[in-house]
Amino acid sequence: MGKNCTLGELLIDQLARTVEDDTLVFHGFGSPLVQIALHVAKRVYTPNLVLVAGATYGVNPDPPFIAPTTNDWVHDRNSECHLSIGELFDLSASGRLGRMFLSGLQIDRWGNTNVTQLGRKTLKLKLPGGGGACNLSCNAKNITLWTAAHRSEPVKGKRRYRIVSQCDYVTGFGHKNADGITRRQLGYPGNGPQCLVTDLGVFDFDQDGHLQLNALYPHTTVDDVLENTEFEPRMKKEIKTVSLPSLEVLSIIRKLDPLRIHEKELLPGDRSLTLGEPKNAAIC
Amino acid sequence: MAVGGGLSSREPMALIRSIIRNRVNGLTVVGSAHGIDIDLLCGANAVSASQESYVGFEQDFGMAQNYRRGCESGEIEIQDNCCYTLVQQLRASIQGLPFMPIQSVRGTDFEKNHPSYKTIQSPYSGEDILVVPPLTPDVAIIHAQYADLQGNLRIEGPPVVDLLFAQASRTVLATVEKIVTNEELKRLGGVNIPYFYVSYIAEAPMGAHPTACYPFYAYDREHTELYMSAAKEGSTAFKKKYLKDFVYECESHEEYLHRIGGEDTRVRLSSWKESTDAWMELYKEST
Repeated sequence: MGKNCTLGELLIDQLARTVEDDTLVFHGFGSPLVQIALHVAKRVYTPNLVLVAGATYGVNPDPPFIAPTTNDWVHDRNSECHLSIGELFDLSASGRLGRMFLSGLQIDRWGNTNVTQLGRKTLKLKLPGGGGACNLSCNAKNITLWTAAHRSEPVKGKRRYRIVSQCDYVTGFGHKNADGITRRQLGYPGNGPQCLVTDLGVFDFDQDGHLQLNALYPHTTVDDVLENTEFEPRMKKEIKTVSLPSLEVLSIIRKLDPLRIHEKELLPGDRSLTLGEPKNAAIC
Repeated sequence: MAVGGGLSSREPMALIRSIIRNRVNGLTVVGSAHGIDIDLLCGANAVSASQESYVGFEQDFGMAQNYRRGCESGEIEIQDNCCYTLVQQLRASIQGLPFMPIQSVRGTDFEKNHPSYKTIQSPYSGEDILVVPPLTPDVAIIHAQYADLQGNLRIEGPPVVDLLFAQASRTVLATVEKIVTNEELKRLGGVNIPYFYVSYIAEAPMGAHPTACYPFYAYDREHTELYMSAAKEGSTAFKKKYLKDFVYECESHEEYLHRIGGEDTRVRLSSWKESTDAWMELYKEST
């Protein structure tokens, strides 16, 4: 690893950069990339963040390391105070959750997410379920979507896409559902998903609420994105290449996650991928 | 049946093993984010409907195999819920209300899959709002760190949904690591579930194993790995390689503790207190 940045570290940095200062944010469970990103954000980019930890509901914890399961006392170390499960969701329902992070086994063109089941009419695969994702997707002020498994290698000639045209089941609401119902029509506050960070690039959503490619990584191309997406995403006029995280960010990640728990979220082939040495990148 | 705790923490596992040994089945389970507790019940064919928000092993071991198989075969009716919907339904029950409004869910497929959720018009603004029915579990099972002889419970660390479950359920069964006097309970920091909610208590040290019950012991990742490798082989293999050894043949909780390694295992899992390195050691991958 050395001074070389890994793909996991790049994703953490990209997620951290989506957070605004002076807001209340929450990470769920089973999402170490986001969990670590919020600690990076608080220490580097947005010091006044109110960081609420998933599962433990501790406020501004300072864990000595990241454990393989979220509801562990190690993640609660040095919390300043605690919320109850009801209180966190009440804050969200009343529009006081600044940003939520959601993922899915399927994420569609309108930013809907599915963690409930594959198969529309007949059940093909029961997924674990979304926890509070459904509620939070409707209520959070802003939403960052992410997945570390955009790349979908064909199995027996068939791809199971992660970024799909339409989710088999809408667990988390995006900008509009398959019936064409929009957030506005439902009276939900907040802006819906604004960005999607994947292992291939960074996307935003255009005025129609449709997914659009915004930036690539040093090792990925537009063709990678097209090949691994079920539909053709819209393209920003100018597609940038993101800068690598700074050495400061790398050192925070490595100190916080010596067990490399976050790499479990990556595709096995991506876990050892390094992207070169950061040139002490400027913070954007 | 409402199951307390969450993910790999403070799951009432001794109670669950006892429920399975007593051949209870046809359960409808409700809860927030769960893992081995619900998966074990599913592996023993004890569940006929699931209203859980999540059943899985996070990014570490992934899908809950017994739960998934039960859902896909049709043995378990899928009635997935979401955390805040569950909270609002419990609040309706606790407050004696006929329903509770909730400012979410509409537009998602949960609305379609739950005919009991209704959209009404606010009598004040005229806007549409979803209402959900009260949820009153017949029984809640909880594992806490401490109780006194009266049945007052003290949960240390995140209580998850346990307090709401205790308030809303008709019967509350609790196991605890240790029964102490009321004076000692107050010295430890006080009660969070008053005794009159609690129907029965039993002392069951290591009663949450293989999930964590801090400060007594950390999560047993090693045992969970063994569990997962049996579960991945299929339902028959799971019965032979896990349920038989760790549930059916253990006539008592003491026998279970013996089979998981007795005092050595307790000492290993309580070593988290010694240092950050010792704590981290428990979570290193064996391969």
